[in-house]
Amino acid sequence: MTLKTNHINIHSTPTVKPVHDWKDRVLGRPSWQLIGGVLLLIITIGILAFAIFKPIRVLPRIRPAPGYSLIDQNGNVVTSEYLRGTLTLYTFTYTRCTSSQCQRTWKTLREVERRLPETNIGDIPFRFVIISIDPEHDTPERLQAFARRLGVDEERWLFLTADDPRLLRYVVGGGFEVYYKQQEDGTFKFDTAYILVDGWGIIRGEYRYQTLVPDTDRIVRHIGVLVEEIEKAKGAAKLAYEAAHLFLCYAQ
Amino acid sequence: MTTEHLHIDPAEKRWIQVSILVLVIFAVAVGLTGFVMGFQVPLPEQRVDPALITQEGPFAEPGLRELAPGKYEAYILSQIWSFVPNEIRVPQGATVTFYVTSKDVQHGFHIQGTNVNVQVLPGYVGKMTYRFDKPGTYYFFCTEYCGLGHQAMYGRVIVEP
Repeated sequence: MTLKTNHINIHSTPTVKPVHDWKDRVLGRPSWQLIGGVLLLIITIGILAFAIFKPIRVLPRIRPAPGYSLIDQNGNVVTSEYLRGTLTLYTFTYTRCTSSQCQRTWKTLREVERRLPETNIGDIPFRFVIISIDPEHDTPERLQAFARRLGVDEERWLFLTADDPRLLRYVVGGGFEVYYKQQEDGTFKFDTAYILVDGWGIIRGEYRYQTLVPDTDRIVRHIGVLVEEIEKAKGAAKLAYEAAHLFLCYAQ
Repeated sequence: MTTEHLHIDPAEKRWIQVSILVLVIFAVAVGLTGFVMGFQVPLPEQRVDPALITQEGPFAEPGLRELAPGKYEAYILSQIWSFVPNEIRVPQGATVTFYVTSKDVQHGFHIQGTNVNVQVLPGYVGKMTYRFDKPGTYYFFCTEYCGLGHQAMYGRVIVEP
C-alpha cells in the first residue's frame, strides 16, 4: 500500500519538469553536499597520494636523547643543553682500545667528516661527540692527548668523560641504550653504535649493527636528509614536513 | 517551487551519514594520535645480510644484556626451529628491548600475555620494548608456520619477583 502511494505522489504533478539532467544538477544548483563531497574526495586523494608516493622524506623522531653533564678534553663541563642547536653524532669507545672494532670506528667517523660537504650542511653546526666508556682511565688530560694523536679538529670533535662511572652507566646504557661492560682483563666488551641527535635533542638515527649499506653511506645520507628538513621546513612547508612525519615517510 | 530529489530512503540516508561521520572520526583520530599523543609505530629498519649478521655485532652473541639498572636489551636470533636464546631471566619491573631477526626463513615472535608481536623476516631486524611488571613465566613462540619443527619453536621469559 505504502509503495503505491509513493509512486502516485512522485508523478502527481506532471506540470513541473523534474530535473534529471546531470549538468543541471552540477552547474545549475550546486548543493553543499556536492561541494563537501568533492572537497572530501580531493583531500582523501591528496592524503593517499602523499602517503603512497612520499614526496618528502624525513628521519623519524625516535625518542629524546638523554640529558647529561660530563667533562670534555679541556676539563670543561659539557651538558646536553650546550649542544642544543647542534647536529651531533655520538659514539662510545675508549682510548686504550686497540682492537679492529675501534679502528673501524675512527675510520668511519673520519670518513663521515670527509664526506660532510656532500650533505650541503653549510653553516649548520655539527659535532662529533665521543663518550668514553672507561672514565676511570680516560681523564681529560688523556683524552686531550688522544685527540692530538688522532689529529682531529678539536672545535668539531668533543671527547667526554665522567666523574662518576655510575652516572655514565645511566647516560650511555640507560639513555643512549648502548651496551658496554668491562672484562676481567680491563678491556671493554661493547657495541659499536652511532647515534645521530638533532638540534632539539631528539634522536633521529641509530646505527647499531652492520647493514647491507655501509654505516658511512647511511650516516652521510641521513645527515643530508636532516639538513634538508632544517633548511626547508619553514612556513607552509613545515606543515608538509609534519605530514611526512605523520605518514611515516621515512628516508631509507 | 518543488525541488525534485533522487529518492533515498530516510534510513538509508542516515546510514550514509553515519558512515561518512565514522570516516571523519577516523581521520581526526589519526591526526590526534600522530600530532597530540606522539604515537609511534615500529620504525623501518635497514636491510641486513642474514648470512653475515651472526658473524659480528650484537647478533654474533645473541642473548640478554643489562644496559643500566632495570633496563635490558635482548638480541634474539630465530632459525629453524629454535630461538637463540630460548630462555631469559629478568627481575620484576625490568624494561626489555627485543631485537629479533631471522637467519633463514620467515618466523614470528610473540610473547604470550604481552603486546610484543613481531614478524621476523630474514634481512630485517624487528624491535619492540616491553616492561615486565608481573612476575611469572611468559612463553614466546613462533607465530608463522616455518616447517616441520615449527611447533617446537618456543622459549620463555622468566620474570623473577
